[in-house]
Amino acid sequence: MSRLILKNLTKKFDNVAAVNNVSLEVEEGEFVTLLGPSGCGKTTTLRTIAGFYQPDEGEIWFSGKLMNNIPPAKRNASMCFQSYALFPHMNVWDNIAFGLKMRKISQTEQKKRVADALEMMSLTGMEKRMPSQLSGGQQQRVALARAIVTQPDILLFDEPLSNLDAKLRVQVRVEIKEMQKRLGITSIYVTHDQDEALAISDRIVVMNQGHIEQVGDPQMIYLHPATSFVAGFIGLANILSGRVVAREENRVQIELPFGRLWAFAGDVQAGVGDTVKFSFRPENVTHYREGSPNKVEGTILHAIFMGDTIDLFLDVKGTRLRAHAESTAKFKSGDTAQFSIDETAFQFLE
Amino acid sequence: MERKNVSAINYLLLIPGVGFILLFIGSSIFITITQSFGLFSITGKSQFTIENWKAIFHDKESLDSILFSLKMGLLSSIGTLLFAFPVALFLRKGGAGKRFLASLIKIPLFIPALVAAFLIINLISYHGIVNEALIALHIIKKPLRMLNDKFGWGVVAIQVWKNIPFVLLILSSSLASIRDDTVDAARNLGAGTFAVLFRIYVPLAMPGILVSMILMFIKAFGDFAITSVAGPTYPPSIALRMRNTATLFQEWDKAAVLGVIIILTTLFITWLYSRLAEFVTGSK
Amino acid sequence: MTEMALQKQKTPWYIWQACRKRNLTTLLTIFFIVMQIVWVGLPIFMTVLWSLVDPNHPWSYPNILPEKLSWGQWIYVFKYTNIVRALKTSYTIAPFAVLLSFVLSLPTAYVLGRKQIPGKKFFQTIVLLPIIMPGMVVALFLSRVFTAFGLAQSFIGLVLAHTLMGLPYMIRVLTTSFEAIPQDIIDAAENLGANSFVKIKDIFLPMVRPGLLAGMVFAFTTSIEEFNLTFIIGTPTFETIPTILYSFLGYNFIRTNASVVALIMMIPNIIMLFAVENILKSDYLSASLGKL
Repeated sequence: MSRLILKNLTKKFDNVAAVNNVSLEVEEGEFVTLLGPSGCGKTTTLRTIAGFYQPDEGEIWFSGKLMNNIPPAKRNASMCFQSYALFPHMNVWDNIAFGLKMRKISQTEQKKRVADALEMMSLTGMEKRMPSQLSGGQQQRVALARAIVTQPDILLFDEPLSNLDAKLRVQVRVEIKEMQKRLGITSIYVTHDQDEALAISDRIVVMNQGHIEQVGDPQMIYLHPATSFVAGFIGLANILSGRVVAREENRVQIELPFGRLWAFAGDVQAGVGDTVKFSFRPENVTHYREGSPNKVEGTILHAIFMGDTIDLFLDVKGTRLRAHAESTAKFKSGDTAQFSIDETAFQFLE
Repeated sequence: MERKNVSAINYLLLIPGVGFILLFIGSSIFITITQSFGLFSITGKSQFTIENWKAIFHDKESLDSILFSLKMGLLSSIGTLLFAFPVALFLRKGGAGKRFLASLIKIPLFIPALVAAFLIINLISYHGIVNEALIALHIIKKPLRMLNDKFGWGVVAIQVWKNIPFVLLILSSSLASIRDDTVDAARNLGAGTFAVLFRIYVPLAMPGILVSMILMFIKAFGDFAITSVAGPTYPPSIALRMRNTATLFQEWDKAAVLGVIIILTTLFITWLYSRLAEFVTGSK
Repeated sequence: MTEMALQKQKTPWYIWQACRKRNLTTLLTIFFIVMQIVWVGLPIFMTVLWSLVDPNHPWSYPNILPEKLSWGQWIYVFKYTNIVRALKTSYTIAPFAVLLSFVLSLPTAYVLGRKQIPGKKFFQTIVLLPIIMPGMVVALFLSRVFTAFGLAQSFIGLVLAHTLMGLPYMIRVLTTSFEAIPQDIIDAAENLGANSFVKIKDIFLPMVRPGLLAGMVFAFTTSIEEFNLTFIIGTPTFETIPTILYSFLGYNFIRTNASVVALIMMIPNIIMLFAVENILKSDYLSASLGKL
């Protein structure tokens, strides 16, 4: 039985649907990320799962039990807040033990579980400190400890790393993932940071304006975006449309303003005369070598040194494209150069 | 140096306002204290004595007044808190209707104490509308004596009616400082309504609760006007007794003792508050 | 079937229950509003009623409502009591007290609002003293001081006393106003060449004007309402509206007269203070009282 099922979930604010007909099934132990820009509905969905919002339509099921009218206190879905939301008037120990106190766990059991959580989060020795005496990273770990110590059925994360500095973020997200794997608790994680999502999720749910654009594992999402939104949101992408002028076996030839490109189409049902929308990533556009497919010639508008690659903005007979080059390449604005677009890299979009 | 000059000017600029207050309040307190010890006496000779103090502490009537005023202070502060706290909680989450409700609740704030006293006197007098309504609903058979009654319920009623908005404002600002996240986290971890109330709202609003209780106590303890129009004939409030002792019996020295007692109680309660506030916010 | 029942059939039960919860809050709000209207409105209504009882048809138990209403009481109070004199006195003292308050608080509020000095908290506590200190004690023994200096039973004495009670509010409101002036603006003015005089005239005063207005209204209403000090220092030479009301509430208890005077005292107050809260679009009163 799936740990969490959302069926046609809709939540409106002032007649605007923040979450619009969202359906999702999450298995036991999965780490699922809700990813999208601000206002896409990911936080609203999370809070509805937690019980802070009542859905206007749709159902929420935890392991086969209907949760719609169960108050947040009874859902056993502990949440990690963006602001940590530690109780300012309680010390670290009392903060962590709070959920246990609410569940009337015995004193001895409380002591044991809190001690274990402190150790897991490397917080031993800080029991008596008050939240105001802790650094951001420490507060975050206390918030985590507080959430896991109750052995929840589902763990909810509301952009927990947004308030940490960049280096810490990268370090802590790995710790969160490892901890989750070790404990095996089903987790729903909300973020707008696609690198974060790609790094730690089992599956990613890309959301936009209240609905789901695509669900898949990180590789799927990155390499095979299904819609232009996903293609544009995750990583960089060149998104184009053109008419199919020829078809052979599993390849199509597409007519574009700057020329014709051959693309591997696989199962895509596109016949001659159809208009198709597709994307390919800058890393699939490389410096032309003899024998490479899809040769295009373009003028370099900007060449930006990124350290491990060079980010190129090209003008190819009026169409703007982005490409990558090795960091050792010497390109200047105004140069003309020839590039090749990898045939296998084309993603056909809806 | 430049810094020092700036400092001196600042203190100079403080003199009009702060100085004025210090001068008048200071001199009156000074006279109160000194007269209680027999100095600056207007009747005859001035000499240091503690006779007045002894007399007051042996005077049953004065002690009765002190106890009565303490009772008024306690009941008024508890009463207003009991009414205002739930309302403050209810109003914490906004909404158009609630804003209107809040402005309605604020009205007694704008009504002077004497007027408030009179307004309530009209309602709770022996044949007033409250009594008549209670009898009509068969809740009581005979009218209740709520005015000028021996216990002082009339005074408490007026103090509560007038001061709920005052306490409500303080509590509201205290509750507003509690982040929604904190409450959500508590509910998320399993806290039911009562747990959220007693483990989150009350502890975090405690500074506001203490301030309002203290201020309310001081107001009601040292009250003159309301007690003299709506309070029992005996015992009078300590402020009332003090004034009668002074202007009716012309025993200013003894009145000064009562005055000092009032001041000391006020100071003690204020000190108690700062200690309690430290305890609540510090150690927990 | 009724529309509502049809709707109920379509919507699943758990959605319906959530709707009911929302309606409960609305119901509760409406209930409280009605209760509050009675709680506040009834006392005021009764007083208005009492003030309009016709002198020739006294209203007494067991009548639920007075037999006849007229302006008779009002006319009586204005003709045969000292109310007119009291009104004159009250509304003469108040402007002077407000002016004096203003002059005294401006420099003090400036320092408290914009400067860091050691002991600031101490000074801020002193400013609050007239509000915290028990009124009758201060009144009684300040009157002794006043008597010694010939200020008792004098107009000047009353103005000084009323100023004393108004200062805390005026200072607090002005302090908040001064605090709110961004340092950037003052720096910009200095950078463009403004001297102290110009700074005061063109920057400070205009920017604290809303607060100033609020402070003046509070000082004014505080003066009109002032009782303890006026009672001890002023009577019997001077009568103000509060002292007259008090006299009607004591041995001389005539409910109808008291009602008229109570309304005379209350209505201008409420109008002025409501205006401050709403027209100035800020919570000055609440802030000054709430942030104690």
